[in-house]
Amino acid sequence: MKGYLRYFLNKLGWFAITFVFAFLLNFILPRLMPGDPVAAIVARFAQGMSNSTGVQAIYEQYVELFGTNKPMWEQFVIYLQNVAKGDFGFSFSQYPRTVADVLKASLWWTIALQFPAIIVGWLIGNTLGALAAYLKGGFDKVLMPLSIFVSNFPPFGMAVIFMVVFGVNLKWFPTSGGYGFDLIPSFSWQFIQSVIIHYQMPFWSIVIIAIGGQAIGMRSMAIYELNADYVKYSRFMGIKDSKIVGYVFRNAMLPQITGLALSIGTMVGGALVAEIVFSYPGLGTTLLRAVLGQDYPLISASTLIITVMVLFANFIIEILYGFIDPRIKAVQAD
Amino acid sequence: MANTMLEVKELSTKYITRFREDVYAVDRVSLAVKEGRSLGIAGESGCGKSTLALSLMGYYFPPLHYTSGEIIINGKNISGMKPDDVRKSILGREIAYIPQAAMNALNPTRKIIHFIEDVIMEHEVYATKKDIYERAKKLFETLGLPAEVLQKYPVELSGGMKQRTVIAISVLLLPKVLIADEPSSALDVTSQKMVIKMLRHLMEAGMISSMIFITHELPLLYNVVDDIMVMYAGQIVETGASREMVFDPIHPYSKGLMGSIIVPEQGLRDVKLTAIPGVPPNLKKPPAGCRFAERCRFVRPECLVTNVSLRQAGDGRAYRCILPEAELREAYAREEHKK
Repeated sequence: MKGYLRYFLNKLGWFAITFVFAFLLNFILPRLMPGDPVAAIVARFAQGMSNSTGVQAIYEQYVELFGTNKPMWEQFVIYLQNVAKGDFGFSFSQYPRTVADVLKASLWWTIALQFPAIIVGWLIGNTLGALAAYLKGGFDKVLMPLSIFVSNFPPFGMAVIFMVVFGVNLKWFPTSGGYGFDLIPSFSWQFIQSVIIHYQMPFWSIVIIAIGGQAIGMRSMAIYELNADYVKYSRFMGIKDSKIVGYVFRNAMLPQITGLALSIGTMVGGALVAEIVFSYPGLGTTLLRAVLGQDYPLISASTLIITVMVLFANFIIEILYGFIDPRIKAVQAD
Repeated sequence: MANTMLEVKELSTKYITRFREDVYAVDRVSLAVKEGRSLGIAGESGCGKSTLALSLMGYYFPPLHYTSGEIIINGKNISGMKPDDVRKSILGREIAYIPQAAMNALNPTRKIIHFIEDVIMEHEVYATKKDIYERAKKLFETLGLPAEVLQKYPVELSGGMKQRTVIAISVLLLPKVLIADEPSSALDVTSQKMVIKMLRHLMEAGMISSMIFITHELPLLYNVVDDIMVMYAGQIVETGASREMVFDPIHPYSKGLMGSIIVPEQGLRDVKLTAIPGVPPNLKKPPAGCRFAERCRFVRPECLVTNVSLRQAGDGRAYRCILPEAELREAYAREEHKK
């Protein structure tokens, strides 16, 4: 147990180092983008103003407010102090909203969309893959090519296909937004119904892709496990097939759990694109708008949240893994 | 007169490959093992030893398929039984198996005791976990294995320990026949000795009534078993008491097999190491005549067309060759003289 604890402290240390570097990059990279975001805001506010001194005054006021006139290191120190207090500052592009406010509005949309989608895709994919390995024959022959085909779709491609087929042609679902744009968010039945309807296309376009990838992985793992020596031995000791299948699937699942951690990582990458395609009010759309508006604080905070989520998911998986696979635990405790 | 624990009559099994080809891996094998006796099966890789071991269990799953013949275990003919009945009442209880790769024979994510619970509960519906633990503990202690092993995962055991654990699990239900498929070939010499000692102990203590030991290491067989059977291309080519089989083989293949092994035993040390040229026949299309004909030094034209059956050669020995024993012995003597 002592070795095990040491392993986790060590791991935690590494996660901390990763976090520090990610934090630094999150701060620096957006600020290396060419262009002056304050100028863009001022241009927006100063529309129609002809007094150049006035424009200059507004500009300086904003520069002072956002602190962009200070050297980068000083900005970083201020940023660090503020973040420690949970203050991410003002959003440049959506001023006067604060970053925390913007993120609070979008983060839950993303989590509510992506997390269930990834879990559902993972569960269905693994079940189908395991069945394909066990049943073989026709089921396998149909499922496999289909999975390979589907898993190689980029998320935005799938999103566009869904939009064209179910949104534009069949008109089953609305093509954009998280709820009807004539509604105000509330706990009314009408609003919830609208959310559910808007949820379907982004959800399934992510699920379908996840199913493909997971099914392929699970199938090959399960085939490998089904031919393992312990399966033969268990059979010859008279253990019934249903029980052996239980052994096999548990063992074949183990690498798939890593797959799950990775998909939580890709929640950031590909799947956010699907959000943008559907103009879903989640982190993806927010991030896109932040990048277009050179909104440093918002970019930094969004990517920071994503980083923390990925690190956290990986850390949880790492701990879980030791508990479900004694082989990993033995190595970890070494 | 001791009871016959295992009797096999003309058993044939085949593999059906992915491309729907039949591979006739075991061809009309007959054998009998009496109570308190052990039989060794020897032969080169791919001769059908392991397939025979699997076939003897009477429980077939793809790619192995039963073709014909009978298996009688302790008076029960299991050949006509339903697979599920074989599984419940025969496997583990009447006949048990120690796999070739005992290293990987245990589910890596299941504690030893939990696997033992699974095995026993499959056969004894009313067994409680507490009883099972007590039984397992007693058995492990009798066999010189620490009881702590029960609470461990396979990964926490050394290779030799894993092997002995598998053996202990195999004999949990005191089977009449134990089939050990190269149980020691992946171990170092010390662990090998412990495994052999354990198997002998099982016989002496009456935990198993008879044993079949499969190996390609003949000297090992000679030390462990009473009788030896040599297999070639899915058939028995010679069978007899172990001492005679090792020191005085009749069949040209057995002779070659003994000569192709480095043996530290007294009396065999002087035998010159020779390889048998050629390769075994393709069992997808077994030859019509003698299966060893292509590699035999004494081959005659009729060997290639005549289906040779086993012929008796006194004191319970039998060999599969068209040449009479005397003629073969004469030929060996001539070869010896030439050297």
